Amino acid sequence: MTGIHQLGRFSAHRVAADDGDELRFCSTCVFGRVCLPKEVDKSALVELHCLVDHVGPFQAGDHIFRAGDRFNSIYAVRRGMIKTRLHDESGREQVLGFHLAGEMIGLNAIHPAKYPCDAIALDEAEVCRFSFPALATLALRMPGVQRELFNLLSKDIGNAIAFAGDYSADERLAAFLIGLSRRFSERGFPADTLHLAMSRGDIANYLRLAAETVSRVLRRFQDHGLIAVDGRDVSISKPADLFAIAKPVLQR
Amino acid sequence: MLPHRADETGNSASIRLIEVKAYACRREHTARMASAPNSFNANFDSDLIARYDVSGPRYTSYPAAPQFHEHFGAAEFAAAAHASNDDPIPRGLSLYVHVPFCLSPCFYCGCTRIITRDRGKADSYLARLYREIELTASLFDRDRKTSQLHFGGGTPNFLTAWQMSELIESLATNFGVSNAASTEIGIEVDPRSADADYVRGLASVGFNRLSIGVQDFDPEVQLAINRVQSIEETRAVIEAARESGFRSISVDLIYGLPKQHPSSFSRTLDAIIALAPDRVAVYGYAHLPQRFRAQRQIRAEDMPDAKTRLALIGLAVSKLTVAGYRYIGMDHFARMDDELARAQDNGTLQRNFQGYSTHAACDLIGLGMSAISHVGATFSQNARDLSGYYAALDAGNLPIVRGIQLTVDDVIRADLIQQLMCHGRVDIHAFAARHRLDFPVYFAVSLARLRRLAADDLVELSEHHIQVTARGHFLLRNIAMCFDAYLNPANHVPAVLAAESSAILPRYSRTL
Repeated sequence: MTGIHQLGRFSAHRVAADDGDELRFCSTCVFGRVCLPKEVDKSALVELHCLVDHVGPFQAGDHIFRAGDRFNSIYAVRRGMIKTRLHDESGREQVLGFHLAGEMIGLNAIHPAKYPCDAIALDEAEVCRFSFPALATLALRMPGVQRELFNLLSKDIGNAIAFAGDYSADERLAAFLIGLSRRFSERGFPADTLHLAMSRGDIANYLRLAAETVSRVLRRFQDHGLIAVDGRDVSISKPADLFAIAKPVLQR
Repeated sequence: MLPHRADETGNSASIRLIEVKAYACRREHTARMASAPNSFNANFDSDLIARYDVSGPRYTSYPAAPQFHEHFGAAEFAAAAHASNDDPIPRGLSLYVHVPFCLSPCFYCGCTRIITRDRGKADSYLARLYREIELTASLFDRDRKTSQLHFGGGTPNFLTAWQMSELIESLATNFGVSNAASTEIGIEVDPRSADADYVRGLASVGFNRLSIGVQDFDPEVQLAINRVQSIEETRAVIEAARESGFRSISVDLIYGLPKQHPSSFSRTLDAIIALAPDRVAVYGYAHLPQRFRAQRQIRAEDMPDAKTRLALIGLAVSKLTVAGYRYIGMDHFARMDDELARAQDNGTLQRNFQGYSTHAACDLIGLGMSAISHVGATFSQNARDLSGYYAALDAGNLPIVRGIQLTVDDVIRADLIQQLMCHGRVDIHAFAARHRLDFPVYFAVSLARLRRLAADDLVELSEHHIQVTARGHFLLRNIAMCFDAYLNPANHVPAVLAAESSAILPRYSRTL
């Protein structure tokens, strides 16, 4: 189609951060909070910015990094959604998580110095790359940065084990949707409309359910008026009811 | 079987029962066509007729079939199928099976069909069809249920009752046909080669919808089109279908046939009304003898002119509406209590290759020679000749020869055209919100064209809605054409719609 057809189109509402500049981080950036001007002197801020590269855009299916690659950077998602996954000894894929704009990936690589997982774009995505050695040095001088790093580390561990317990399919899916909704809204995006860039196979794998079960439960939620599903878009009509179902998982 | 389908696909084989998919016709509080005509007011002056009797697509798909290209093949289809399995709740499936054989040639027909009396041809065709069913079914996840199954042609009842039964069984085994009461299993039947026993046989293997070709009961017209079919044979099939529990019976008529006159067509309409089908389709004959060899048997001097064609469709509208049918739009009428009419009331009506449909969005899988599929945001078509179709399957490949991946713009325009075709109305704010666009800017070129139609009282245009008028209901194709990016190069607003359209659209039939 010719260019004129794009005229009058608003940019897609896919979750994306606005761009930062030399003295401001992208609005969703995890470091935005610790780097408020009163806490950090401007030279440190510029220094931190120097560690950051904007990388991308990646297309759906592109790797940001691969398992076994030497670890030297952590990444913050700027736009789009990233899946992390690994393969167990028998070669089976295991989905570790889905990462939204403003969230970090690569943290679980700090210890072995190699990335233990693949990071794959699920839709068109851009990331910020932070050189880790430089970041670690800076963290020594900036307590705020260090604190934020530790926070992120503990959060990341929490994410990975959230669904390890003995929960029903309904509880898992409700918690999955509520969790995503909270993370979107924390980043300043609508909490009641979720775009699921991941396939149902990925959701099923992550929640340790069969793909058919994912669809069956979502259809039941929809029939009961809790959610409305339209292609990859899910809107949450009754968050309180959904939360009630999700509670056993979320209370952990 | 029907000539009207020929114009976009080059063959009517493409027709499927189906609904056009998720992106189109979402629930909106569109009531039925607000000003649907109760009587046809033929206040079309000759100047208006001249301006709007142009060539154009029928919008059973957007983009229309001439936009399909050979760079879209089996691999692209397989990728679309896999992607369609990935949705949180994958769409259901709707299957169309094409049977290309006919015992004798109807002269009006523009379908890709094979005239033969050799019933043995069916066996070699079925052998390939079974292979195609297995190959295709393996691409779709097993928990996706089939809620619609339709047989078209050609003449589907070229197959014997037991061949039909085996075919249904294979489809059920491979695709998992839903046993819900709402599952539709439909077939087009030629009463000249189907008797009451055959129809009862169809019911016993699960068919619940029947569509019967009539075209016209007038003997002179029947001779001119080489399709002599009595009211009695037609009635026998309809009665057998009713007795054996078919839920819906539909009759197809054609206007604009050679030797057709309002007076004789009026008698045909009376006879149809007496047979009391649930739905009636009245298609416009597309006379394209340079493209369809069979049509060269029709003498040009026997063809009714545009004014007579309008009188014929006008007659159909007034007679059928008086008899209790609602004009759904684009050739289709349904009883007030028919689900098509109810779907139009509650905004769930869909436009598709077969006309209109009530089912929620499905992925459509066309099986058989020349059949068209619509999976995700793609269209694709099988080989349109037996040798190509057989060769692909004998080599173990899907027989897809062409198709198209829709762009974002295609999806947006398809939705808009769907709204116009199904509901005669577009709520501009809801549409703009759904597709995240600034409507007047995005559609500036289309709206400029539409304003000319508004001046002729075919649409009402405000900042809130586009509303098709009573007069405009008979020119839905012309209205939709304003939004067709393939007819309207965006940087070029031609002075005369008619002139431009007929100049660049030799593949399409006339709109009137």
